Amino acid sequence: MIIILFTLGLPAAVFGHGVEIDYQTTKAIEITATYDTGDPVSEGQVIIYAPDNPSTPWATGKCDEKGRFTFTPDPSKPGTWDVQVRKAGHGGMIHIPVGGDEVAAGGTGYTTPQIALMTASVIWGFIGTALFFSRRKG
Amino acid sequence: MHIPDGVLPTAVCLGGYATAGAATWFSLRKISQKENPREGIPKASLLTAAFLVASWIHIPVPPASVHLVLNGLLGVVLGYYAFPAILIGLFFQAVMFQHGGLTTLGVNATVMGVPALLAYYLFRLRNIFGKDNRVGTGLFAFLAGAGGIGLAAVTVFVLLVTTIPAHMDVEAERASIYALTLAHIPVMIIEGVFTAVLALFLQRVKPELLEGDS
Repeated sequence: MIIILFTLGLPAAVFGHGVEIDYQTTKAIEITATYDTGDPVSEGQVIIYAPDNPSTPWATGKCDEKGRFTFTPDPSKPGTWDVQVRKAGHGGMIHIPVGGDEVAAGGTGYTTPQIALMTASVIWGFIGTALFFSRRKG
Repeated sequence: MHIPDGVLPTAVCLGGYATAGAATWFSLRKISQKENPREGIPKASLLTAAFLVASWIHIPVPPASVHLVLNGLLGVVLGYYAFPAILIGLFFQAVMFQHGGLTTLGVNATVMGVPALLAYYLFRLRNIFGKDNRVGTGLFAFLAGAGGIGLAAVTVFVLLVTTIPAHMDVEAERASIYALTLAHIPVMIIEGVFTAVLALFLQRVKPELLEGDS
């Protein structure tokens, strides 16, 4: 009976004392996930991997409607934090350096002119291949 | 449709490479048995470019947004060249545009390329109606175009639904996979109609370009 009472009492441990609250500022990371159409990955699931354990998620969460998600990495774990955003089997992963070689902002995508230039060069490659193999012999 | 890196388990990625390797071997063997294997390369090269560009054409199907794939069309027009064409197209999409991924290249090639080969076989059934029958050509081209992307969408659905990691919100992910798969129904109709229009056009102006003749 004593044991049961003790167990029941634990979750609601309340102390009749004054409360002290400390604060300290920390560095948070905000990510924004968008599809290559520019639309946000609204409510995409976020999986965060700490540098010391790349196989087990350190934390999971969900983006807001605009594809944004904010988290505070553990400052005692410097290195590259991997953040994956996925929805319906689509998504991507970004590698964020924390501590040491930190950068203020970064991304994984390309700008529209870059994409246009790359597409044009690849298509020209295919057209060149077609022309090469369709040339008349002799 | 293009599954990126880090989504599928390693075993599935390896299995994808195995099936893609087998399909490539089969396709190249069939191509090498042709009288002039080089003859089809210009057509295959141009359609690989079309396949690459098609993935930039987005169709908003609320709440999702999907893009054209054209794998059924490639099967109809290219025949056995379709699988290598799709494999090369996917490689460029993964390396240059981060669309898809290198670890999932085998899976994506299998998912889109094998239905392209099946679409080719389906389109050849038009010969039941006779080669010059426009109704037969249009009907089977529609079925091949729609069936190619339809089969690919169903395969992606099965792959994704059965491999959702336990650390995710499984219900939410499953619901969004259902929504994305259903969004491919209008794309099936669009690609089916597009394939039928192209096949009928080619039959009129240059019937030898349609692989289904052989």
